[in-house]
Amino acid sequence: MTTLVFLEHHEGELLKPSLGVLSKAAELGGDVAGVVLGSGVRDLAAKAGAYGAAKVYVADAPELEQPLSQPRVDALAKLVSEQGFDSVLFAASVLAADVASGLSARLGAGLNWDLTDLVQQDGSLIGKRPALGDSVYVDVGWSSEPRLALIRAGTFDPKETGGEAQVEDFDVQFEDFSLAATMLEQAHAESEGPSIEDADVIVAGGRGLGAPENFKLVEELAQALGGAVAATRAVVDSGWYPYATQVGQTGKTVSPKLYIACGISGAIQHKVGMQSSGVIVAINKDPNAPIFEFCDFGVVGDLNDIVPKLTELVRQRKS
Amino acid sequence: MTRPAEYPPPFDSREFVAAPSDSPDERIDVGVLIVGAGPAGLACAIRLGQLMEDDPSLAERLGEVPVAVLEKGKGVGSHLVSGAVVNPRGFRRLFRGRDVRIEDIPSFGPVQHESVYFLNSSAATRVPTPPTMKNDGNFLASLSQLSRWLAEQAEAGGAMILPETSAERLLVTGARTVGVRTGDKGRGRSGEPMPNFEPGVDVTAKVTVLAEGTQGHLTGVALDHFGLRGDNPQVWALGVKEVWKVAKPLDRVIHTLGWPLRGGRKYREFGGSFIYPMGDDMVTIGLVVGLDYRDAEVSVHDLLQELKTHRFVRKILDGGERIGWAAKTIPEGGFVALPRRLHAPGLLLTGDAAGFVNVPALKGIHYAVETGRLAAEAAVEALRPGRTPWTPGALASYDRSVRDTYVWNDLKRVRNMRQAFANGLVLGGAMASGAIATFGKFPPGNRPTEPDAEVELIRPKRSAKYPAPDGKLTFDKLSSVYLSGNKTRDDAPNHIRVRTDVPEELGLLWERMCPAQVYEVKEDGGETTVEVTASNCVQCGAITAKGGRLTPPEGGSGPEYTLT
Repeated sequence: MTTLVFLEHHEGELLKPSLGVLSKAAELGGDVAGVVLGSGVRDLAAKAGAYGAAKVYVADAPELEQPLSQPRVDALAKLVSEQGFDSVLFAASVLAADVASGLSARLGAGLNWDLTDLVQQDGSLIGKRPALGDSVYVDVGWSSEPRLALIRAGTFDPKETGGEAQVEDFDVQFEDFSLAATMLEQAHAESEGPSIEDADVIVAGGRGLGAPENFKLVEELAQALGGAVAATRAVVDSGWYPYATQVGQTGKTVSPKLYIACGISGAIQHKVGMQSSGVIVAINKDPNAPIFEFCDFGVVGDLNDIVPKLTELVRQRKS
Repeated sequence: MTRPAEYPPPFDSREFVAAPSDSPDERIDVGVLIVGAGPAGLACAIRLGQLMEDDPSLAERLGEVPVAVLEKGKGVGSHLVSGAVVNPRGFRRLFRGRDVRIEDIPSFGPVQHESVYFLNSSAATRVPTPPTMKNDGNFLASLSQLSRWLAEQAEAGGAMILPETSAERLLVTGARTVGVRTGDKGRGRSGEPMPNFEPGVDVTAKVTVLAEGTQGHLTGVALDHFGLRGDNPQVWALGVKEVWKVAKPLDRVIHTLGWPLRGGRKYREFGGSFIYPMGDDMVTIGLVVGLDYRDAEVSVHDLLQELKTHRFVRKILDGGERIGWAAKTIPEGGFVALPRRLHAPGLLLTGDAAGFVNVPALKGIHYAVETGRLAAEAAVEALRPGRTPWTPGALASYDRSVRDTYVWNDLKRVRNMRQAFANGLVLGGAMASGAIATFGKFPPGNRPTEPDAEVELIRPKRSAKYPAPDGKLTFDKLSSVYLSGNKTRDDAPNHIRVRTDVPEELGLLWERMCPAQVYEVKEDGGETTVEVTASNCVQCGAITAKGGRLTPPEGGSGPEYTLT
């Protein structure tokens, strides 16, 4: 098996979800290569060796500076056809999804998306995909090569194994139509601390907080733990917290190592966005709240008392 | 005592009637435009396809897109809910002499056995099946599945089906209906265009057929605008159902009366449950309650949960798993509430939207198919060379042909039965029996209906008795909404017109009535307000019956039913 992993980067760093997929590819075995596309990104390539890439291809061109999909499709189409990779893996992001679907169309290749696992079974690659609101998992395969796969972000943890990668440059001829789109403006949502997609720790607040100003309790705990703040649909709807922090069916799907749910009842609409978190801790005064059925640790009580004490304890431990 | 009608919604149907505003080049021009891909609309499209096949010059006269069907759901069937035990009569007539057999229709086979039970809280007593409820020769189906199949037939006949497209305004010039304007997409919470904003378009047509189903938005607008409302107001029931995967097959169709509904006259709780097999490994269970009930704390969703805890019902579901959920209203006014006319220049009304439902028989799909078919024929009749569907009376052949069918006779016979049950189950049952025995001659005349929203509310503290959800047999509303497949974006504009400054009792009525947890009563310094979470809405239509008004949400939003 020869596998290529699309390594996405932002502000001079390879993104964790991409490195996670790379580690998984290395674990599955075969020849594993990474590809880094951008402008002034050659230094990044070498770093991928530590996560299991034997070889990293780099296309360094001004056309690849902006995060636009079509120039990347040009680059990947050339690389995959020339090198004959039989699998191309992406960690899902807005850009990666766009690139993967473009590549699928360009190569006439099959794309399976939203995968939460990859396994080798009787010599073929099988993806696991949640269906029907994550209530069942289906096995998906590919009927031809190359096999394209988009892996749900945060599914695999990067594992540093300390190897070294051979870095190889390649040139790309860009299609005229690929350069038709230009980036006019990029805006970044202002936030402090890690974003909820990459945070290892998330402290989330729900309507049980009682009032918007009580989000302060959640923010303080998140800050003490070095984590990010998330919110439920109900509080986002009420305008207590921005939509970018909404976790759930119609918000983001996250899987941090630790998820602390404060005043969250655990309705299924929220659960599907965070159920794959490592350890789930619930603080809620209603002992019948559904969240107590799927959390790892539950505290029945008033979060106005518990959360500040918890924050205090965390701070003491840290200092 | 509060009546919901005292707090009318901020809604004026004139807002939804307009002349075409796109320039002629920008309009989409079609021959016959059908609004709604349910059994009525699709039967109409199929019949038009047959007529075009028989007479190729018809297709030419209809133009480049001879038949188009607009569907607001994500796909065909996404918003369709029924029991369903289907009377095949409508399909037999639709496919007569064609290459389709009744056995080709996706179904779970014919009804083999049936039983009716009267429940009290601990026992189930078998009672004789009322003659109107007999199901010999009828078949079991999922309406959502069945309609996807009908859509394939319609497309094969040349119809173009446009899903994710809501019909928002009726396009009218003078007194002629000339099409509809579709809804905008990509607006934010307060109506502002977002980066993915797509304005609606004028879809113009020679004939517009409204087949919107229960609580049809444009049907309501057309009834007002053209003065078509009948002598009596339409009334509705709310049905909530679940689909279960079960361990052992159910061998019969079951209906229940009585518990958990209360028989007393002061409650006016008319309804019952249905439990139908869907093949060997699935069962559907639903509860239907007339929306003329009085107790502000009635929740059909929670009454269905309560019903499932009955020993008799629990036995059927034992070892099973809930895999589907849906809610929808059913027009129950019947014959006396039908529109005065079923047509206006350029416009035809069909199926549930027009109120063609036989309540004592618990059926309406065959009427939808029948009226859809007849609408197609009337449209074609009015499009013969030298004629135009836009003159007054040009489409009147539709009304005549509907009156000549079994649809009209069936409904006339049972016209007073639903109203009788305003007197409670015992007296109502006796009066209904009289009507059956005399083929509708007793009671004589037409019994009036009363709008659901005019019923005075009472508050005997019922909701304390609803069972707590256990996540296995009984569920909360949000889990149900999730199972409906609804993933409407949270920043969509609110499509529900409702007053939010109402007495607590009325807010509570909405909170409990809504099966999808859209309304929530908030107390703030003695003031009651109603908070609306529109993205939960599964578009069942109950709010329109009880003092609010649904308007079409963004196309493609709402539930995504597949098994219902």
